[in-house]
Amino acid sequence: MAYIEIKDATKWYPHKSGKLRDIFRKDKSFVKAVDGVNLSMDRGEILGVIGESGCGKSTLGRMLTRLEDPTKGDVLVDGVSTAELIKKDPLKFRRTVQIVFQNPFDTFTPRDTIQKILLRPLKHHKIGSSKEERLEIIKKALEAGGLVPAEDIMQRYPHELSGGQLQRISIIRAMFLNPSFIIADEPVSMLDVSVRADIINMLIDLARNHDASVVFISHDIALTRYISDHVAVMYLGKVVEYGTADEVINNPKHPYTKALISNCASIDPFEELATIAIEGEPPTPINPGPGCYFAPRCSMACEECLKKYPERYEVSPGHYACCDRIES
Amino acid sequence: MNTVLSVQNMNVTYVNKSKRVMAVRNASFSISKGDSLGLVGESGSGKSTLAIALLGLLPKETTEITGKAIFLEDTDLLSISEKEMNELRWKKLAVVFQKAMNSLSPVHRISTVFEDIYRVHEPHATKEEIHAATVRLLKLVNLPERVYHLYPHEMSGGMLQRVAIAMSLLHSPQLLIFDEATTALDVVTQGQILKEIVQMEKELETTRIMITHDMSVVSSSCNKVAVMYAGEIVEFGYVKNVMVHPQHPYTKALLKSFPALKGEKRKMESIPGFLPDLSKEIPACVFAPRCAYATERCRAEKPLFHSREDGSGTACFLTEGGAD
Repeated sequence: MAYIEIKDATKWYPHKSGKLRDIFRKDKSFVKAVDGVNLSMDRGEILGVIGESGCGKSTLGRMLTRLEDPTKGDVLVDGVSTAELIKKDPLKFRRTVQIVFQNPFDTFTPRDTIQKILLRPLKHHKIGSSKEERLEIIKKALEAGGLVPAEDIMQRYPHELSGGQLQRISIIRAMFLNPSFIIADEPVSMLDVSVRADIINMLIDLARNHDASVVFISHDIALTRYISDHVAVMYLGKVVEYGTADEVINNPKHPYTKALISNCASIDPFEELATIAIEGEPPTPINPGPGCYFAPRCSMACEECLKKYPERYEVSPGHYACCDRIES
Repeated sequence: MNTVLSVQNMNVTYVNKSKRVMAVRNASFSISKGDSLGLVGESGSGKSTLAIALLGLLPKETTEITGKAIFLEDTDLLSISEKEMNELRWKKLAVVFQKAMNSLSPVHRISTVFEDIYRVHEPHATKEEIHAATVRLLKLVNLPERVYHLYPHEMSGGMLQRVAIAMSLLHSPQLLIFDEATTALDVVTQGQILKEIVQMEKELETTRIMITHDMSVVSSSCNKVAVMYAGEIVEFGYVKNVMVHPQHPYTKALLKSFPALKGEKRKMESIPGFLPDLSKEIPACVFAPRCAYATERCRAEKPLFHSREDGSGTACFLTEGGAD
């Protein structure tokens, strides 16, 4: 059985247009940020989630950590519902599931030193018996993460460190509690290219050597291919394609994935780009449908597509796509 | 060749009471009509400073600019007065910034903004005239005509960025500067806008400087590239040469830190170390502390920029002989 199971996870936000008459309306409208996502992960697996901004990648990440409660559906860790886990023992749940956010400059209290910031979770979760022991743990972790001299860094304030250093500390802090499930929400998009590799290799190491499951949320497709074992492509709150990273990126089946990948600029100047244009902007996630959400922009759409949401097909073993018009 | 812009020994220094930060040092390059130059480097490498200094947008009290930037053979952008600069802005050179959402007035319709800018250089233009010119440009960047009457908040980021690009083309400038103009956009939108820009350039014969930190943007939309590190141009050349056979160790390292979308997966490597402190004079190669190939000479002496006949070249002792 899979270690992490996401079952029909759904997050609808009530949509208010700000008009008085809405208060009395029975048929409330919703922003369907995440709409019935089913995914599963094994231990030590890295799952990449890609899609345009506004497709619900981050909301999904927040639901997995229970920063948002799903409207419907559930997330199971090792067969137990996270709703139950957090109710029974919130500390234990936080020890199991951790998140790394996008902007390392906002994740830390600007008024505390790194030492104080890192001591807090250790104290809260009662790791180490004395302050000296905890400081030793922090020092070791910083050194293992390549942040030397550790003593010097511990005395600094967040504004005295670079984005890459802060993001590494952010990952170190998440790792302190030895979590088995980590969500990385665009961990490198704010960083310079020259330091990205460090963070990425740190996450890979985490999955391989600590047997943790990592969800890597990103809009950078080349990077996602590099880091992930499996990739899920999201569009307007739904997973439209899922499979192994190489399979999805080299052999995309869903028209949206095809367009997304074809628009990705390559660093090879000789590569001829046969881009597939997508007409228009993504539609709003306020009551989309009833047909395929991508149909209005899809080059292959037909009448059928506008009527009902397509089924999920297994195009090849382990590779799924939600489209009725896949040529086999 | 008609040279559009020729920058010679340009220096930009930010000055305050305690420090002098040399953000751009000894930059020299030239671009000809129809060229598109990608200016790449990490954040803090001085690429935006270089472009903003060319546009004369840096505050006079806190910056010192020396050197020359000959624009269209007769004007030196770095020494002309504010009044002369105003004559050039929009008309001869225009800029598109990263966040178009922030550069458009939220309380005016797009039409008002376009009219204002159009009348800077054509004070007696009629509304119809401006409308016609604008609609043509909006079509060029794939926007519907109705955009003309919208407010910025009614549009998405991609649309606003297109509006900003259309606006920069209003007076068909000879030189366009894109300062991270596509960075904040989604992959699909970025891909489309880049394609439109390249297409548009063929029609209008404009010259473009594209500031970005994304190598893939440069290779898909530019023909020349200048790699900046710590305020210096360390490599300059044609995209088709530099991207495939980078000469300077920094360019090599930078290209290695990008994962490829297709083909074999190779290990991503980061560049160890940090940018040097730019407020101090650096008598040696700026990249030597982080360079894997640095020799004693690199740490003691400053390599000069060696250019070949076509203007391409590097600032590195290791590539001086010409061979790799």
